[in-house]
Amino acid sequence: MADPLLNVEDLRTYFSTEEGVVKAVDGVSFKVDAGERRGVVGESGCGKSVTAMSIMRLIEPPAGEIVTGKVEFDGRDLLKLTEADMQQVRGGDIAMIFQDPMTALNPVYTIGDQLIETILLHQDVSKSEARDIAITALDDVQIPHAGKVMEDYPHQFSGGMRQRVMIAMGLSCEPKLLIADEPTTALDVTTQAQIMNLMLELAEQRNTAVLLITHDLGVVAGFCDSIQVMYAGSIVERGTGDEIFHNPQHPYTWGLLGSMTRLDESQQERLNSVRGAPPSLINPPTGCRFGPRCDFAQDICREALPILHQSQEGQKVACHRSDELDLKSIAIGATS
Amino acid sequence: MFAYIIRRLVYGVVTLFALSLVVFLLIQFSGGSPLDRLKLNPRMQPVIAQLTELWGLDKPWYEQYFIWLRNFVTPVDVPAQEGLIVVLGKLGIRSWVAIAAAVAAVGYTVALFFVKVKANWWRTFRAFSIILTWLIAFWIIKSRIVFALNWGISFRGDGPVWDNIFGAAGNTFRLGATALLLALIVGIPLGIYQAIKQYSFFDQLGTMLSFITFSTPIFIIGVMLQLILALYMERWTGVKLFYVVGMTSSGYEELGRGLFGLPSLAQLGDVIQHLTLPAISIAAISMAGYSRFQRASMLEVMHSDYLRTAKAKGLPRRTVVVKHALRNALIPIVTLVSLDVAFIIGGAIITESIFGWPGVGRLYIGAIQSIDYPTIMAVVMAIGAGVVVMNIVADILYGVLDPRVRYD
Ligand SMILES: Nc1ncnc2c1ncn2[C@@H]1O[C@H](COP(=O)(O)OP(=O)(O)OP(=O)(O)O)[C@@H](O)[C@H]1O
Ligand code: SF4
Ligand SMILES: [Mg+2]
Repeated sequence: MADPLLNVEDLRTYFSTEEGVVKAVDGVSFKVDAGERRGVVGESGCGKSVTAMSIMRLIEPPAGEIVTGKVEFDGRDLLKLTEADMQQVRGGDIAMIFQDPMTALNPVYTIGDQLIETILLHQDVSKSEARDIAITALDDVQIPHAGKVMEDYPHQFSGGMRQRVMIAMGLSCEPKLLIADEPTTALDVTTQAQIMNLMLELAEQRNTAVLLITHDLGVVAGFCDSIQVMYAGSIVERGTGDEIFHNPQHPYTWGLLGSMTRLDESQQERLNSVRGAPPSLINPPTGCRFGPRCDFAQDICREALPILHQSQEGQKVACHRSDELDLKSIAIGATS
Repeated sequence: MFAYIIRRLVYGVVTLFALSLVVFLLIQFSGGSPLDRLKLNPRMQPVIAQLTELWGLDKPWYEQYFIWLRNFVTPVDVPAQEGLIVVLGKLGIRSWVAIAAAVAAVGYTVALFFVKVKANWWRTFRAFSIILTWLIAFWIIKSRIVFALNWGISFRGDGPVWDNIFGAAGNTFRLGATALLLALIVGIPLGIYQAIKQYSFFDQLGTMLSFITFSTPIFIIGVMLQLILALYMERWTGVKLFYVVGMTSSGYEELGRGLFGLPSLAQLGDVIQHLTLPAISIAAISMAGYSRFQRASMLEVMHSDYLRTAKAKGLPRRTVVVKHALRNALIPIVTLVSLDVAFIIGGAIITESIFGWPGVGRLYIGAIQSIDYPTIMAVVMAIGAGVVVMNIVADILYGVLDPRVRYD
């Protein structure tokens, strides 16, 4: 098997706060192959964004720090690069788009200005060539009158259009990996679908690997080849879309899926589907971090931290009882 | 844009009108008569009669107000029958040069707005070239045109108010503009640097000094500067670095003129030696305020989403700060500075008394003490007009910095 494009090993990113050290990412390992589309799901605050920001090395010291780990990209450990080399990686090899398109573009510069700036940074082209590339990029994301909107300012665009601009900016330098941190959360449902279809099309065309971060399993379903589920700073389950959706092995994944299948029911029930609140990242519970919220917890769960291992069903899972539990056959929510 | 400026000017005139009414009432009902002091001198009887007649001092307050208002907008020495045409006929060549300068400034402003270039540098260039043109035009008009409004004769007997105001306003402008410039070029970079190096030793020190300065009354700053940088300095080192009174030394003219009648280097040095301490006194508090505000605004921008985007694009830190953060962080400062103009003028009023600076402030305090209301009113109106104009300039600058601002 060829080397993976991205190989994250035992990544730990901590923040020092007044209350104590927040272990936002605590021992995360995963690989992404070239052209693979990987979904990262999990509740708010479980460390999805911090993982992404750590890969890009955008964690701001002194509050945040990557304590240990390895982020191998294309054979190089990004954590060991000089800042200047890292700048070439950012936006060039790995592009990133963010949750809120309304605020992600600089309000005082034109769209064209911001696109051309990126292109000039990573490609050896003249200003007018960069302009042409920028217009093509805007065409690719189906923005009408691309040549004209180059002179427009971000405030003249709707949220969906701005996210298209962000995608154009991200893909203009043909990155090998695109990290999309909740790219559609701030958009309405119709626009969400349009943006996801557009990203799927472009990523497939160019064989761009995508790390799609979201807490909406519905968005992941149609888009990703593989999915990893994060809980309280670590990965609790990882597998193909089929494995995760049709045969979840971790009680937390099972609960999350419950929230999805009951989408049409009342909002109240949906929110309760994984009962309880996420644990503190400063003093996490001993043993399994999901233990206090788990319907299947036993003594062993409180004693030892389960590690991510190969399950009988194929996917990787971090649960002591995954092999004995047959979650598929338990009606979701039946025990609670 | 034009419609906007015109509308703002109209609002400005209304504001000034309201201001004049309020201040006039305050003077009227604060007790005492402007003539009290003159009455002490029996020989002043004819003067009192004349002033009473001229300003209607024996009439009810509203009639006095309208007499004042009518005089305030009437040019001096224009008998009603002659009218404007005759006045124009009397103008000399210098005045025509001044009028030509004004027309050119208007023409240039209009012309620039018909040139449509959609680029940031153009907007910036246009705004600043217009401001510069108007400053130059104003300077020519002021120095060449022979024109005065009937703002009356000072009740204290020191001449026509119009002449006094324009003499003093120039001096105050020199002081105030220097102070403002000083506050800007020190305060803003200081705040930016503090934000970039948040929590560093330098940042903490800056924060402490800002708070100390900000909470020190302006007259204490002024007197401290006089003591330390001028008096003790001279006593201990024998070097006379700064002067504490006046705008220039008495031997200023003997220092010799430079080329084209401009001040020579020696004269310039003398001016700076006089200007520095009062300018610092006024600037200090604003400087502290700007640095605090700029620090906060810069920090906010540094944590914004679009700065994260800029970093994620791979821009070097310097470009991130200079291109993407700075311009956004300057936008809120514009408002602060435009509001601060009034504060700076207030500071000038206090400082001028401490440093014997012959500006509007000293004129004003003298006028208040003798209820010299033609002078008080004229000073208030001049300051009011200055603030109104500065606010309009700030709004225009706002649009230059922020493309989201639309003038309609
Ligand atoms: N600058 C910071 N200082 C302190 N704590 C931080 C900082 N940034 C993130 N954290 C903490 O790290 C944890 C993980 O945050 P992260 O943003 O990765 O969550 P997320 O999974 O992306 O959630 P969401 O779905 O809300 O975006 C959170 O508990 C958060 O409080
Ligand atoms: S280890 Fe135990 S507590 Fe944790 S998820 Fe599995 S069953 Fe639940
Ligand atoms: Mg997030």
